[in-house]
Amino acid sequence: MKSVRIVWLLVLVVVVGSLVASEATERAPRTNAERVNSLAGDFACPVCQGQSLAESEVPVARTIRAAVRTMVDEGRTDDEVRSMLVTRFGEQVDYTPSGRGLTGLVWVLPIVAGALALVAVASALRRWADADTKPEGGSRTFVGRPMTLIGVVALAVLAGILVARAAGDRSSTDALTGDIRSSTRTMLAEAAVAAPTEAEVLYTEVLEIQPSNVEALAYRGWSRWRVGQRDVALSDLDEAVVLDAGYPDVRVFRASARNAIGDYAGAAEDLLVLDGLDAPPIVYDLLSASRLRQRIAGGLAQNGELLFGIELLDSGLDAAAGGDRQAGLLAERGWLLAATRIPELVESGLANLDEAVAADPKDPYARVYRAVVRNAIAGMPEGAAADVEVFSSMVSPPPNLLDLMRSAGLTGE
Amino acid sequence: MVVGAVLAVLVLVFATRDTNRDRLITHLVGAVAPPVVGLDADGVLWDLDDQRGRWVLVNFFSTTCVPCIEEHPELVAFAQSHDGSDPTQPAVRIVSVAFDDSETAVVSFFANNGGEWPVLAADTGRIAVDWGVVAVPESYLVTPSGYVAAKVVGGVVREDLENLLTRALTAASTEAKR
Repeated sequence: MKSVRIVWLLVLVVVVGSLVASEATERAPRTNAERVNSLAGDFACPVCQGQSLAESEVPVARTIRAAVRTMVDEGRTDDEVRSMLVTRFGEQVDYTPSGRGLTGLVWVLPIVAGALALVAVASALRRWADADTKPEGGSRTFVGRPMTLIGVVALAVLAGILVARAAGDRSSTDALTGDIRSSTRTMLAEAAVAAPTEAEVLYTEVLEIQPSNVEALAYRGWSRWRVGQRDVALSDLDEAVVLDAGYPDVRVFRASARNAIGDYAGAAEDLLVLDGLDAPPIVYDLLSASRLRQRIAGGLAQNGELLFGIELLDSGLDAAAGGDRQAGLLAERGWLLAATRIPELVESGLANLDEAVAADPKDPYARVYRAVVRNAIAGMPEGAAADVEVFSSMVSPPPNLLDLMRSAGLTGE
Repeated sequence: MVVGAVLAVLVLVFATRDTNRDRLITHLVGAVAPPVVGLDADGVLWDLDDQRGRWVLVNFFSTTCVPCIEEHPELVAFAQSHDGSDPTQPAVRIVSVAFDDSETAVVSFFANNGGEWPVLAADTGRIAVDWGVVAVPESYLVTPSGYVAAKVVGGVVREDLENLLTRALTAASTEAKR
């Protein structure tokens, strides 16, 4: 009897100790930003499936997060913010519902179920003990039920192994037993650094859990595009745009894909929408590095839609910040105008090329375009030499510009 | 037996609860209209409270949303027929609140598509959250006493707006006679 009590005491110590330890290690948010993240993580995005406000990038989630941030900065308490969100968007969005009303059942039912289970176990133990009691009144013991004990130990070991495996897979922000929200976040992070084929599988898994996850849909489309699955890729990208027309990344992906298949007008439309979105600077850095806008404008000009191409470049100039990004766009603008060989436009184009060189004297396109225009179009070959010299001193210049220089007779080769 | 009975009761209770969809359509109807305060495109302060005594249509929209683009001519037509110049038609003020949009795009949108009513485009997130807006377009008809009389989820059609206004006027008149 004494050994049974010791076992129960040990179980009690372990359970209570674990609960206390887990509660103690859950540090309360300290800064306003941490509070906003914590609150946003406790509420579902009202229009998404399985995503919290903290995870979703759809407009309504961004808007609500901003409102929460404002309230926190104003000094409102967490309870006030929670109350506001539940009042405005309903109890359905609350991942930790109050104990009031019908939703209180989510708190009461597990306790009732646990209590019932405890009573059932206690009752079973008593029956076993009674069955093991000797007629002459000997001590009660579990030893008479070795198979039961072995079964319990085996189950405990199995549960321990499963929990340990889950713990080994989790990230620092995952719950011990894992949950849908944390899992998808982890999967998205893994997919971001995975090879396209592997990333596509991960994004598909995320979409099985959260069909309206725009980030997963857009990036799966892009992964598929990169491995050559063009039709399904475009379908993903179209669907992502329908779900969230204001998600900058998908606009860039679809513009790139449309440009590659010769749909320059469609690609330009995506970038024009992007320019109205107040996208993060990194998006424009990527656009600048890839020269996507310039390539689309060039495609439009080749198709006889010069004005649309110029509009696209001008829109980029309005949205771009920083001289180097402007240099590339101005250079393309000048090049396209000068290529018309209409005197007024050539003059205008040369002015743009001058501006481009002034904005970034080391922009290879500005230098080569100006040299070619001066030499072959404007009849000013003497002015091309300086640009050729600067370009020739560049390390690893773009191969297409070398070809252009050769074809324009500006190199000795 | 007991477990089965409890389960049956729970199923009944949850099955007959208001769904999220019901809430989407009826949210705020009959309640005091939340605040709408902000600078319009001309930099003039606009406050819903200043409109007491007038019917107001609060329209949440975005320039990148297709139903919003499609509903705009309907709003223009509705605004023209309720601008107060026709004594047979009740005057209704419209205010548009841009949702997750840029001021430049909004100004350009109104310049290209018409619409002479005030439009709030800057720092409108809090207004949208106060009104519980989850997707645009959404429109709310506010009574002269500042209560939400009707809500439209999705693009509006002028005829539907006229019907909503007629119903709201009838209800207000009935209420006044009591």
